[in-house]
Amino acid sequence: MGFERLEFSISQINMNGNCFIQTGRTLVIGICLFISTQYVAAQEIDLLLKGGHVIDPKNKISAKMDIAIHKGIIQKIASNISEKGAKKVVDVSGMLVSPGLIDIHTHVFTGPNAGFGHGSSSVKPDDFTFRAGITTVVDAGTSGYKTFPLFKEQIIDRSRTRVLAYLNVFAPGMVGTAAEQEDMQALKIEEADQTIKKYSDNIVGVKIGHYSGKDWKPFDAAAALAHANGRPLFVECHITEFSLEDQLNHMKSGDIITHAYENVSERMPVVDENGMVRPFVLDARKKGILFDVGHGGVGFWFNQAVPSVQQGLEPDTFGTDMHHNSVNAGMKDMLNLMSKYLNMGMQTEDVIRRATWGAANVIKRPDLGNLSEGSVADIAVIQVLQGNFGFLDAAGFKLKGDKKFQAELTIRAGKIVWDLNGMAGVPWSKDLK
Amino acid sequence: MQNYFKTAKNRVLVLFFALLTLNVSAQEIDLLIKGGHVIDAKNKINTKMDVAVKDGKIFRVAADIPASSAKKTVNANGLYVTPGLIDIHGHVFHGTEPDNYLSNSQDALPPDGFTFRAGVTTVADAGGAGWKNIDLFRKNVVDKSKTRVLAFMNIVGGGMRGVDTYEQDKADMDPKLTAASAKKNKDFVIGIKIAHYIGHDWDPTDFAVAAGKIAGIPVMVDFGKALPPLPLEDLLLKHLRPGDILTHAYRYDQEFDKSGKMIEHKQAIVDVNTKKLKPYVWDARKRGIIFDVGHGGGSFSWGQAIPAMEQGFHPDVLSSDLHTGSMNAGFKDMANLASKFLVLGMPLADVIAASTWNPAKVIQRPELGHLSVGSEADIAVFRLREGDFGYIDASGMSIRGKQKLEAELTIRNGRVVWDLNALSSPSVK
Repeated sequence: MGFERLEFSISQINMNGNCFIQTGRTLVIGICLFISTQYVAAQEIDLLLKGGHVIDPKNKISAKMDIAIHKGIIQKIASNISEKGAKKVVDVSGMLVSPGLIDIHTHVFTGPNAGFGHGSSSVKPDDFTFRAGITTVVDAGTSGYKTFPLFKEQIIDRSRTRVLAYLNVFAPGMVGTAAEQEDMQALKIEEADQTIKKYSDNIVGVKIGHYSGKDWKPFDAAAALAHANGRPLFVECHITEFSLEDQLNHMKSGDIITHAYENVSERMPVVDENGMVRPFVLDARKKGILFDVGHGGVGFWFNQAVPSVQQGLEPDTFGTDMHHNSVNAGMKDMLNLMSKYLNMGMQTEDVIRRATWGAANVIKRPDLGNLSEGSVADIAVIQVLQGNFGFLDAAGFKLKGDKKFQAELTIRAGKIVWDLNGMAGVPWSKDLK
Repeated sequence: MQNYFKTAKNRVLVLFFALLTLNVSAQEIDLLIKGGHVIDAKNKINTKMDVAVKDGKIFRVAADIPASSAKKTVNANGLYVTPGLIDIHGHVFHGTEPDNYLSNSQDALPPDGFTFRAGVTTVADAGGAGWKNIDLFRKNVVDKSKTRVLAFMNIVGGGMRGVDTYEQDKADMDPKLTAASAKKNKDFVIGIKIAHYIGHDWDPTDFAVAAGKIAGIPVMVDFGKALPPLPLEDLLLKHLRPGDILTHAYRYDQEFDKSGKMIEHKQAIVDVNTKKLKPYVWDARKRGIIFDVGHGGGSFSWGQAIPAMEQGFHPDVLSSDLHTGSMNAGFKDMANLASKFLVLGMPLADVIAASTWNPAKVIQRPELGHLSVGSEADIAVFRLREGDFGYIDASGMSIRGKQKLEAELTIRNGRVVWDLNALSSPSVK
């Protein structure tokens, strides 16, 4: 590392001055080396975030700290890093500095079809991630083994957001008609297994959802496929024939149920008629089943979420279920969803933890969601606004609040990809063109 | 219902219908926006007014409309109520065609995710499609979006498929076919676009103007990168017609040529040495040339905008040049862009006019961009936030400002399509 930098610096100096020819070689090389060392020291940090309140749950940090970024990774995190060696310094005092957020429930397989799979109901990740502090999304089974290569080529490989996926247990994913999407003939477990192994960097779990049959085979096959690959099962909605209790019983510790706080006819809500979280749901949590919000258009109801928080069924993760409707409805974006929980009484550190390190663990990607030195520099700088705000649920009800998260600066692999108020900009002056 | 059986049938029925009638007349308004400050340039309104919406149309605009007459009332005290914004320079011909720049491609964006949250209800695509793929544009974008989508058709038959290749092909620029297609699709085609041409000749510009003449619609020019540059003066004073549009008005493009001389690709409107607006730009404005912002990823420079604004040269139209390169950069959204001009000293009423009634006139759509009774209820409600905000231009230069417009509520065709703080919803019990 140091040697490489040194070489680079010498060649820079040689290009800039002809000192070799003019004077004695050894002396000049000595001087060059001396200068180059200084030069290297002066250029060590690409970006220094100074004075922010860092929340890094993995490393148990919630304190004022500086963060130095170099070559796309977190180089150093300490209480007072000198500005001297930094190419760019951004003053983030008064802001929260968090690992880039991880949204574990999205639909981002856009394309020309109607509907979600390769369709216009999905949204492109970069359009809605960085402005909300998100640097990683997980697509929730919009593709299956047959459509995953297309998804990878058109979306995963072309997005600046890190895009991961749960593979749909059904071959087409959410492409095609409802009948095609849950055709038992399209339950090709071996092919799906090969796909998971081939794309093990991208696929973090297996999804079952949008299944209206009475046969448990797809559900159980999806679970077995996930577990055989050391990954969680992600249980989405529209599984009309199975009770909530049975679904939870067919899941194992580490599996995820999403739309946890929805209140729709096709699945029993987690809170009963008397406002109590059902005991079997609390048992499932004890067993290690994970509860994701999956807000979407109809997946979040205050009459479920508020009692759940009060009675110990807080969400493990803040999956947004972002799609073309939810981004304009009550969900809006992940920070808006997190703000709902902030105003429902959850502590800031706790909210950030579930959106970062918590989510990373849920998808078994401990390389993500933290600010450890040496990890990829995915960072969200968040301002907590004070004021009068309103938050909408799927039933059309509003929760009033006085706090709201706002993404000021988002950094993905060391690059600034969102800068709401030009914090990292160069102040303009009249002398400039 | 029990009363029905207890007493005389007829009397009860009469009473029942009387109540029913009362009920209907009492709540004839679907949505009432109450107490906001209305800015409607066409109707010269810039004062506190209530706005009533019924059946998707503006039903009434008046000083005090009783809330009892409305099914739903939004308290807009302290907020600004304007016509839905019109963005005449977006790139919304989204699709999956690889390496196709802004035509059925991934660099263009589905409109709804970017319009409503910024108070925009109408967007015109700026030349993504030409006559060869305008039908696909209609099918994939116009018909599938909740945002009203219009289009400037590219003079290039294949549309905006690639700057260095397809868009240089004069053989694919046919004024007659383009005009014929524009006329056929006049329900959403509102202009002709010529962009990115780097040849040192005027043919493509003249082709576009010819098409515009036949179809009776304006031409929007994204002045290309000819080397040596073509004179902007000639474009504005000789080639364009009054009513034609220069977009990227505040762009500053520079590059060193082989001899080390600084060249302005697209000649700027402000002389960067004297900081003065070039005299012919004033002449062009007098002539009726429209100056459009078209911010985009690389087309807005404080070094142009600030001196121009100081010298009183305000834009005629604010527009986005929305695409993947601008959505997360200095542009962000139309409310952010409008805020920039507020911060540069443009009065709020003028900023709103330049985003509503002005563009409606420019694209010859006088039914849009105002709140006249009977017109389609496309409405934006803005909060003017006070605080310490920052704004960046295309080159990463920032200025500070004390104001920022934020879209609270957007209504398209009478329906709430964006509600930032749930203003139109009841509180949880």
